[in-house]
Amino acid sequence: MSAMLLAANDSGPIWLLLLGPAAGGGFYYGWWRFYRNTDKSHAFERETRVQAKPITGQDAKVDEVRGTRRSSIDGANHGNHRERVQRVE
Amino acid sequence: MTTLPPPGGAEAPLPPPDPTIDTRNERLDDGVNRCPKCGATEIQLRPSVGMLVCLFCRHEWAEARLAETVADGDLAELRGTTLGSGATDIDADVSSLITMKCAGCAAEVVVNTAEQMGARCHWCRHVLTVNEQVPNGAVPDAVLPFGITHAAAVEKIREFAGKRRTFADRAFVREFTPENVVGVYMPYMVIDANASADVAGFGEVETRRYTRGTDDNKETVYDADIYEVHRHIDFTADDLTIEASAARALMDASMNTNNIINSILPFDTENAVKWNASYLTGFTSEKRDQNVVETTPELEHQLLSIARAQVESSIGAYDRGVRWERERLQVHGTRWLTMYLPVWLYSYHHVEGGRGMVHYIAVNGRTGEVMGSVPISTPRLLAAAISVGFVLEGVVLAILAAAG
Repeated sequence: MSAMLLAANDSGPIWLLLLGPAAGGGFYYGWWRFYRNTDKSHAFERETRVQAKPITGQDAKVDEVRGTRRSSIDGANHGNHRERVQRVE
Repeated sequence: MTTLPPPGGAEAPLPPPDPTIDTRNERLDDGVNRCPKCGATEIQLRPSVGMLVCLFCRHEWAEARLAETVADGDLAELRGTTLGSGATDIDADVSSLITMKCAGCAAEVVVNTAEQMGARCHWCRHVLTVNEQVPNGAVPDAVLPFGITHAAAVEKIREFAGKRRTFADRAFVREFTPENVVGVYMPYMVIDANASADVAGFGEVETRRYTRGTDDNKETVYDADIYEVHRHIDFTADDLTIEASAARALMDASMNTNNIINSILPFDTENAVKWNASYLTGFTSEKRDQNVVETTPELEHQLLSIARAQVESSIGAYDRGVRWERERLQVHGTRWLTMYLPVWLYSYHHVEGGRGMVHYIAVNGRTGEVMGSVPISTPRLLAAAISVGFVLEGVVLAILAAAG
């Protein structure tokens, strides 16, 4: 095994060695969720009859960011509709 | 931190002319549901057709749909809080025990509404059913009859569990008896709402993407414009359905599997009919114990979630996403009805690590949608996962050895 590790260091990306444990963990989690369905709930956002008037709003440029390594905005939550943010009266 | 503009539409909600919708089925107030054809009281639901059937003359009929007897109106005009007469607050002083006078022989028959909604007169054998809306949460505004038969539910549960056999707990597999599925009428608040919502936050638009560094230290970096974003939406939601039983509304996947019952929503609540306890004959039911005030936080959460889902279509230009930071909800009007909705429920009590949990497999009694939680045999699943990990690791080592 140690010879293999050395070989990996010399000739290939060592992260490949993590594939085995990752696959085992993914297999366990995937099947666990398929059996237990703990993530399931009524998708009321999509499955409710909603009638909405045209959406209104404003967009104002306030700043710029240069040379960030983030591929998306910090704290993006536009897709997580059920995550509540500060409630204003 | 973003700010929200002052609330729009400063109109004060006008109270509805009559804040209560009378949903009583007055025809049945004497507690006797007679067959319109022969007068017999032996009546029950025939799920395959969703009709009541007289067990003497086989005559079939149905109560009127609630939607036909209660004016829906334009939801955008909804103001204040309107309640169905079956959705009024539960009076803690009202007992679950109801004494009914038999219309056949005048004997007094006691019905425990915590457990059943009807009883047979022990003198003349008339079937008496609880149809009067007493304020103990037992009689809702409407009931949606079962449309899926017991046999169909058994088949769906068998199919669902059959796909989850390999890693299932061995005792669960041994004791699996889908024929034991029980038809249960669950209590729900069904709510129409007219609301407005505002959300504010920041969004980013990518202006440039480039690579920095050389050779092994290359990295992709981004330039972006940052915008303050505000959105406003006026909307109505029709028939939001929320659990009206505290035990069922508590959804914590580490403690229970109530999310399973929640996930088989929605129901075709527009087809719910006026209350008639005969729809419950042969089924069990759970009494409502939640009032409007206890259900309101969940309603507001759902309305805000719907608003956030609706405005998503308007922020597509922000290709680096949006971070919402503040939100406001103005509820202009709501209409609340209580309903019994039909669920076929298979339950299995499983103890793991000294902690017991009831696992449900639930079938929507109208649409047939099925969802469930099957207890897992941890040793089996763990052994399989380790095997998969070992096999893949072997392949990786072989590749690395060949490359070296």
